[in-house]
Amino acid sequence: MVTDAPDVVIEPQRKSVLSRVSFVWLIPVAALVIALGVAWDSYSSQGPLITLEFQNGAGIAKDETTLKYRDITVGVVEDVGFSEGLSTVLVSVRVDKDVAPYIDSGANFWVVRPELTARGVSGLDTVLSGVFIEGVWDDVIGTSEARFMGLENAPLFRPSKPGLEIALRATANGQLTENAPIFFHGIEVGRVGKARISPTTNYAIAEAIIYAPHGRLINNSTRFWDTSGFSVNIGPAGAEIDFTSLATLVSGGLSFDTVVSGGDRISDGEVFRIYEDEETARNSVFNASEVETLELSAIFEDNIAGLRVGADVELAGLKIGEVQSVSGVIDRATFGDSRVRLNAILSIQPARLGLEVEASPAAALNFMAGRVRDGLRARLTSAGLLAGGLKVELVESAQPGALTIPDMTATIPQIPTAESEMRDAGASIEGVISRVNNLPIEQLMASAIDFLDSAQDFVASDELRGVPEEAVGLLEDVRGLVSSDEVQNVPVLLNASLMRLEAVMAQLEEQQLVARLVGAVDAAAEAAKGVDTAVEGVPELVAALQGVAAKAEGLALEELVGEINRLAGNAATVIGTDAFNALPGDLSAALGTLQATLNDVRNGGVIENANAALASARSAADAVAVAADDLPALVTRMSGVLDQAARTIRGYDRGDELGRDVESTLREIQEAAKALASLAKTIERNPSALIRGR
Amino acid sequence: MSETTPIITAREMGVVGCRRCTQVWPQGTEICGRCGKRLQLRDHKSLQRVWAWWSVGMLCYIPANMYPMLSTRTLFTVQQDTIVGGAIELFTHGAPFVAMIILFASVVIPLGKFFAIAYLAISVQRRSAASFGQRHLLYEVVEYIGRWSMIDIFVVAILSSLVQLRSLAAIDPGPASLFFALSVIFTMLSAQSFDSRMIWDMQSRDKGEASRGH
Repeated sequence: MVTDAPDVVIEPQRKSVLSRVSFVWLIPVAALVIALGVAWDSYSSQGPLITLEFQNGAGIAKDETTLKYRDITVGVVEDVGFSEGLSTVLVSVRVDKDVAPYIDSGANFWVVRPELTARGVSGLDTVLSGVFIEGVWDDVIGTSEARFMGLENAPLFRPSKPGLEIALRATANGQLTENAPIFFHGIEVGRVGKARISPTTNYAIAEAIIYAPHGRLINNSTRFWDTSGFSVNIGPAGAEIDFTSLATLVSGGLSFDTVVSGGDRISDGEVFRIYEDEETARNSVFNASEVETLELSAIFEDNIAGLRVGADVELAGLKIGEVQSVSGVIDRATFGDSRVRLNAILSIQPARLGLEVEASPAAALNFMAGRVRDGLRARLTSAGLLAGGLKVELVESAQPGALTIPDMTATIPQIPTAESEMRDAGASIEGVISRVNNLPIEQLMASAIDFLDSAQDFVASDELRGVPEEAVGLLEDVRGLVSSDEVQNVPVLLNASLMRLEAVMAQLEEQQLVARLVGAVDAAAEAAKGVDTAVEGVPELVAALQGVAAKAEGLALEELVGEINRLAGNAATVIGTDAFNALPGDLSAALGTLQATLNDVRNGGVIENANAALASARSAADAVAVAADDLPALVTRMSGVLDQAARTIRGYDRGDELGRDVESTLREIQEAAKALASLAKTIERNPSALIRGR
Repeated sequence: MSETTPIITAREMGVVGCRRCTQVWPQGTEICGRCGKRLQLRDHKSLQRVWAWWSVGMLCYIPANMYPMLSTRTLFTVQQDTIVGGAIELFTHGAPFVAMIILFASVVIPLGKFFAIAYLAISVQRRSAASFGQRHLLYEVVEYIGRWSMIDIFVVAILSSLVQLRSLAAIDPGPASLFFALSVIFTMLSAQSFDSRMIWDMQSRDKGEASRGH
C-alpha cells in the first residue's frame, strides 16, 4: 500500500498573500460597506423628532399615520403616548430633514378625519387610509421647536390660502355655522371659522377669512347679512322663493356688499356685525347710530311673558335702544330663593341719548349711572293695548340716591328695576272687560223684549181697540141725550118759567116802590158780576172737556171727530130750533122784566139762590176740570216713558232686529200719540164746537 | 464507518478525483482529461470562501428578520409582518401548526445551516468530538436542505403575483424577502464552497501523527 507516501508531495504554496486570499472575500466586504452606507445614509437623512400634543388621538397609529404638508407626506408618527397625568396625547413625529427647519413656532397641526357636513364630504381618503396629521407653516425658517399644541380642527387661516382675516359678530338670532361660505354676488369668496361665544359679551363671534384677491371688496362700510334658509315672497309678480344655494339652505351662509362707496380700507382683525337679512343690512348703513352700543342688564322680579328680543327700550317715551336678549336667571346667592327671574340685556344706542360729549358706551354708562342715582329705574310696561307686547321703560320712579349701578366695571352693568306697570294696566283693562262682561245684557234684552211684547199686546188688545167704539157710544149717548125731548123742551120750560117769573115780577112791580127798584138794579149789577165770575170758569171747563176728549184716544179718530162733528151738528140743530131762536128775544124781554122785577126777586131771596146755584155749578165744573187734568198728564207721562224707552233701545243695537221691532212699535205708539195730539189740537182749536155745536 | 476502521483517502492513494465528473486521475494531473475541469487535490481557499459566503449570508439574515417579509394591503389596512412576527401572530390566531412550519422553515433551518457550516469549517481545523462520518453526513444534509429554505421566497413570490386586486387587496413582498433570498443563496454558496474532503484530512493527519508517534 502506499501508506508511506512521501509528505514532500505536498509542497508549500509559494504564492503571494493576495493570491492566497480568496476573491470571494470581496462580497462580504462589499455587503458590509453597503450596509454601513445605507445605515449612515438613513441616519444622516433622518429629520428631527417633533412632539405634537392632541386632546385625543383617534386614529393615530404608530409608524402608519403620516404628517402631511400640502398633501405631501413629510413625516411619520414614530410613537404615540400620553403626557404626564394622561391629560393629553403626545404624538412623536419624525419629520423630513429638508422640511424640518420650516417647522417653527408658527406651525399648526391638526388631525384630518373624515367629515360629513352639509357642504359635502371632506377627508374621504382618510376613511380608507386612516387619519393623517396635517401641518401648516410659513415659508420662513424660524426658531425651531420640538413641541407643538395640536389643534382640534383645521385652522381657518392657512398660508396656502391667504386672505383678509376678519371677525364676524352675530346677533341673537344670527346663525354662525362653522365653515359656512361667504358669498359676494353669489361667488364664494370666504369662509366662516369656528364660532364661539365671546366671554365678554353675549355675542357669538366667529373668525372669517376673505380669500386673497377679494379682500379689497371689504371696507368699513361693508355690511354682512345672513343668507341661510330661504324666503318666500308672494307679491303682484307672483310667488318668489329665494335662497342662495342649497348649502346655505342647510348649513347657513353669509353674503356681503358694500352699500356706499368711499369706505376706508380695513386691516386684519376688523369686526363686522351680521344682519338678519339684506334689507336690514343695507338700511343699517344709513342709520346714524353705528357706534358701539351700551349693554345693560335688567333683572325683573316679575316674570311676565311678552318681552321679546327687539322690544323697544324707551327713555321718556323716546326709543333709545332695544332688548338684545331675554333669559331666565336663577341666582340663589343674590336673591335668596330659586325663583326664575327675567334677565333682559338692553342694548342702548349712546347716540340716541343726546349726550353732549362723544356718544360712546362709556359716556352713556356714566350718564345712565347718574340718572340711576337720580332714581332712574327700568320697568316693564305694555307696548300698547293693541300690540300686546312688552317694552322696557326707563322711568324715574324711585327716590334719588337709593340705588346705584352696582358694578360699573362689569362687562354688563346691571341697572336696578322697578315694579312693572304692566300688572296695573292689565288689571284695569281686565276689570273693564270683566265689568262689560258682567253686564246683564241678555236679561236686559229679555225684559225689553217682554216689555215690547206686552206693549204690543196692550196696543193690540181688544179693550184698547174697543175704547174708540166706547167713546163713540158715549158720544152717541150724549147726542141722544141732547136730542132728547126733555132737552128739546128745556127752552119751552125755560120760557114757561120765565113767563112765570115775569108774572111774579109783575106782581113784585106792583108791590114795590121805585126805591126798591133802584136797589134791585144794584142787586142785578151784582148778580151780573157774579155771572161774570161764573163765566170765568168756562175755559177751565173747556180744558176739562179737552181732557175728556183726550180720553177718547184710539184708532178711530176720524170717526170720533166725525161723531163729534155730528154731535156739534146736532147741538146746532137743537140750538137752531125756533124755540131756541126765540129764546134771545124772550130772554131780552125777560131781562127787561127781570130788570124791573129783580129787586122783588132779591127781596124774595131769589138772587141769592141763583148765586148759590151758579157757585155750585162752578165748583162742579172745577171738579170736572181737575178730574180731566189727570189724562193729559197721563198721556204726557206715557209719552215720556215711551220716549225714554225709545232712546234706551236706540242706544242699543240700531241694526238689530229687535231694535227694529221696537222702533216700529214705538213709531206706532208715536203715531197714536200724534193722533191724540191732533185730536186734542182740533178740540183746542175749536172748543166752542163742543159747547156751541159749531 | 467507525473510528476503528480508518478510511484511506484518495490523496493517500496518490490519486485525485475530478469534482465535476468524478473521474479519478493520478496526482499531479492538472486538468481532467474527460471534462476539462482543473483538478485540485485540495482547495486551499475553500475555507476562506466558506467563511466569506457565510458572513455575507449572516449579514443578509439580520435585515431579513428585521424588515417585514410580506406587506398585506387590504381596503382599509396595510399589514406588514416580519417572519417571526407573522409566526407569532399565526400562533396567537390559533394556527400553531402553520406557525411551527414557518418558524422551522424560516428560522430553525437557516440558523441551523449557519451553525452547521460554521461547525464544519471549524472542525476541519480543530479536533471534534463528532466522528468524520457524522460530520460528512451533516455536510450532506446541509447541502441537501439548503435549497428548501427558498420555499419561503416561493410562497412570497406566488402570493405577490396572485393577490394583486388593485385597491381591494394586494400582497407585496417586503424588503425582508430579498434579504432572506440573498441569505439563503449565500449560505448555499457557503456550503458548496466547503471542500468536504478536508473532513478526512484530519483523520489522515491524526493517523500520520499516530504513525509518527509509533
